[in-house]
Amino acid sequence: MEEQYIKPGNQDRGWNDPPQFSYGLQTQAGPKRNLLNKRVPPPQLSDCQSPVPGMTPPASHSTPPSNPLAPPPCGVATPPRSLPMKGQSDTPTAQSENEPCVDDVITVLTCTLTSCRRTVKKQVCDDVARRLKLFEDAWRDGKLSLPVRRRMNLLAQEMRSQKWDSADEIHRSLMVDFAGEVSQWMVGVKRLIAEARRLGPDVLNTAKSDPFPDSSHGGDAATE
Amino acid sequence: MATYQEFIQQNEDRDGVRFSWNLWPSSRLEATRLVVPVSCLFTPLKERLDLPPVQYEPVLCGRATCRAVLNPLCQVDFRAKIWACNFCFQRNPFPPTYAGISDVNQPAELMPQFSTIEYIVQRGPPTPLIFLYVVDICLEEEDLQALKESLQMSLSLLPPNALVGLITFGRMVQVHELSCEGIAKSYVFRGTKDLSAKQIQEMLGLIKPTVAGPQGHPVAPQDAHTSCRFLQPVQKVDMNLTDLLGELQRDPWPVAQGKRPLRSTGIALSIAVGLLEGTFPNTGARVMLFTGGPPTQGPGMVVGDELKTPIRSWHDIQKDNARHLKKATKYYEALANRAAVNGHCIDIYACSLDQTGLLEMKCCSNLTGGHIVMGDSFNTSLFKQTFQRVFSKDFNNEFRMAFGATMEVKTSRELKVSGAIGPCVSLNSKGPCVSENEMGIGGTSQWKICGMNPSTTLALYFEVVNQHNAPIPQGGRGAIQFVTQYQHSNTQRRIRVTTIARNWADAQSQIQHIEASFDQEASAVLMARLGVFRAESEEGPDVLRWLDRQLIRLCQKFGQFNKDDPNSFRLSESLSLYPQFMFHLRRSPFLQVFNNSPDESSYYRHHFIRQDLTQSLIMVQPILYSYSFYGPPEPVLLDSSSILADRILLMDTFFQLVIYHGETIAQWRKAGYQDMPEYENFKQLLHAPLDDAQEILQTRFPMPRYIDTEHGGSQARFLLSKVNPSQTHNNLYAWGQESGAPILTDDVSLQVFMDHLKKLAVSSAA
Repeated sequence: MEEQYIKPGNQDRGWNDPPQFSYGLQTQAGPKRNLLNKRVPPPQLSDCQSPVPGMTPPASHSTPPSNPLAPPPCGVATPPRSLPMKGQSDTPTAQSENEPCVDDVITVLTCTLTSCRRTVKKQVCDDVARRLKLFEDAWRDGKLSLPVRRRMNLLAQEMRSQKWDSADEIHRSLMVDFAGEVSQWMVGVKRLIAEARRLGPDVLNTAKSDPFPDSSHGGDAATE
Repeated sequence: MATYQEFIQQNEDRDGVRFSWNLWPSSRLEATRLVVPVSCLFTPLKERLDLPPVQYEPVLCGRATCRAVLNPLCQVDFRAKIWACNFCFQRNPFPPTYAGISDVNQPAELMPQFSTIEYIVQRGPPTPLIFLYVVDICLEEEDLQALKESLQMSLSLLPPNALVGLITFGRMVQVHELSCEGIAKSYVFRGTKDLSAKQIQEMLGLIKPTVAGPQGHPVAPQDAHTSCRFLQPVQKVDMNLTDLLGELQRDPWPVAQGKRPLRSTGIALSIAVGLLEGTFPNTGARVMLFTGGPPTQGPGMVVGDELKTPIRSWHDIQKDNARHLKKATKYYEALANRAAVNGHCIDIYACSLDQTGLLEMKCCSNLTGGHIVMGDSFNTSLFKQTFQRVFSKDFNNEFRMAFGATMEVKTSRELKVSGAIGPCVSLNSKGPCVSENEMGIGGTSQWKICGMNPSTTLALYFEVVNQHNAPIPQGGRGAIQFVTQYQHSNTQRRIRVTTIARNWADAQSQIQHIEASFDQEASAVLMARLGVFRAESEEGPDVLRWLDRQLIRLCQKFGQFNKDDPNSFRLSESLSLYPQFMFHLRRSPFLQVFNNSPDESSYYRHHFIRQDLTQSLIMVQPILYSYSFYGPPEPVLLDSSSILADRILLMDTFFQLVIYHGETIAQWRKAGYQDMPEYENFKQLLHAPLDDAQEILQTRFPMPRYIDTEHGGSQARFLLSKVNPSQTHNNLYAWGQESGAPILTDDVSLQVFMDHLKKLAVSSAA
């Protein structure tokens, strides 16, 4: 669903700054595959004089052994994983095929806001509207990166199908991964998800079928 | 029968407990001769996927001085509906709700697999969690911007119904009102004047000064909840708070050339503590201090604002030349104790290249179970991700944090509890199971831990009090019960009860059994915690001497040797790693301050006294794995002989992850073999340690520093300073050329250390 990537840390500001994991990677971290917690007793102490790995190295080679001679056993024990440690894989070519459409996204968000106007305070709705405008402007001005646009598109789709938990999770992933880019307006989306969740599905469905959402709220908006 | 290793692992998985000895010596005298006390590392809220909480109250023993919880070790008479307490032997009738009990219809708490059980109980109305941000605005522009973004981000991670508050400070302290309408308002305090809790509450309008009697009348509690303008539900104020944070500016007061900014950290914290004290005593709350430099004015100042006066170093402290140290420490200790009384914890996120005063402020977190995170800048992934992980969730999608916990220990009569070491304070609860011999924080059977997570681990020390001439009947067992009451992150009150038992053994006839029951990993950490606890108040060399003496005595007791013949000395398998742990502990930053600032030492010790066994042991003796073409990754000795040209090493010290490429590997990498299709195996070899490091990075709290280096690289020093210097410039030629890397040091090697240890252990003069 979401991009999973690892960015290098900020070496300019932090000495040996660790790499940065995307929200998706952080939350999926499950039980460890390789527990690196073994220790070797020092040779001179234990009764059983265990051979010490590393004490008897073969003569070093001037070039790495080529494949047929010495296949790397570690490759067998730990199959190559698809997550490279370095470099940003956040703009992979596979993703750039379908550019999400700003109008689709905005329509879903404003429709939902319209439904909310019937029950939610005007001040809150106006505040949300102001932030959605910020978002729309940023998008139209080309200030939003592709992953943000794509994830917002996904978020809008989830809202349309009233999958609030999933929409909320995408909002969270955007806040964590792109705080600087989205923080000013994302809180409006967050509030919109929270308010829409509280409305019954009926309210939302009627709003969705309304062809002229902007003209329908009328006097309702003032009710608190 | 299962091996001890399996037994130990099982017990840790089920009960979160690791004992130094898994058979207990049956008399006081024998116990003291074992050197390592009967003690355990206990993780009260260890994550248990298979432990559904039960929804009723625990059944307590009726004896007023006991009050132990019904558990699987109790004798039950199902016909008479009576149970006998296994701690005080009182016979108790079951409560009426247990009328249907029979040996085929038992409640969960009687089943052996529920030696650890968790109860959800009703205690007053649920209260939301509280997060109070205390933000330093004397930061560089880039840092402030990054911090603002992280704080805005955190609003998305908080539980929606959590209450949130904001205090900012520089020269002045501002307490921000968070109503959702109208213009932003804040209360401004001077950063130099110490105010009493009452004054703060009056000035914030939390109590009415006009009607104040001798104590001052707090606003009725429910009023305080609804009317406290400073703490509001996230879901209500998130938009305004996002803007408020976005608009935060650097402290406008000019900072003259050669001066530090005036930072009123002390007053800011005092206001935060006072605000929560007045509004939400005994409710889970987190004060989160974000600071980018030392407190420079008012109470709690650590250094003056003249840049030409540097902040105290270890040297200054040893020379008694740290002017503000005692006063500041005392000030923060008083604040920490107040917070602890109210059940509130204090986190410190300190990001700066210079010291920020953690030495003086550490008690705020250490006494309340708060976090300390130390980084170079708020604009680093180290800070950002560590901060995100404060809000991480478990497999049930609940926050990994708990608040306002009290942990009580009950013991059977042959045992008493001597003390605890961990992020806790004493509740001064005297009782029959409290020992007079204190170890750590003693003189009590109850401790308070205001902030906890599933890995928070306490060390508990016990005393065997049974007299030598009053033997315990064969087959007898001693028992300990841990009762932890806490506020779950979902605001439920819960009680987790863990009851364990171990067999008594006669140390004269069964010494081999006792020896086999020794958990050397747990013991190393338990002794290390005692050492670190001592190091807070004693001189470094004294602590080392104490540790050495304990080690020598242990080797005398359990080593096999002929008198005065060091070469004959042998240790059995259950002790084989222990001397090595002690060797590395002596060199660790927990006991050595050389090359560390006072802040760094405080930071390292802070984490050492709260992490679980696995993590603590990594801190004592870092893990070293070797990657090569000759086989799968393997653990190798933390020794200079493991540094070989054709290996890649991965070292985990908990605070740092180091990947070191041996000389040949580094040359190959430089030559770009990994990019050639015929050397795909080399590419995979380079990747293997990165993948393993990634796994560690993904879960570690706090995020470690990450070092990718190679033979001859300047950063290789992180590895070279940790390995045992078995080859140095002094003995290099004796070792031959090909094995390992010589370390330029005069430090004693493990070999020399062991030679001396053997000599002392076998000496008849000792």
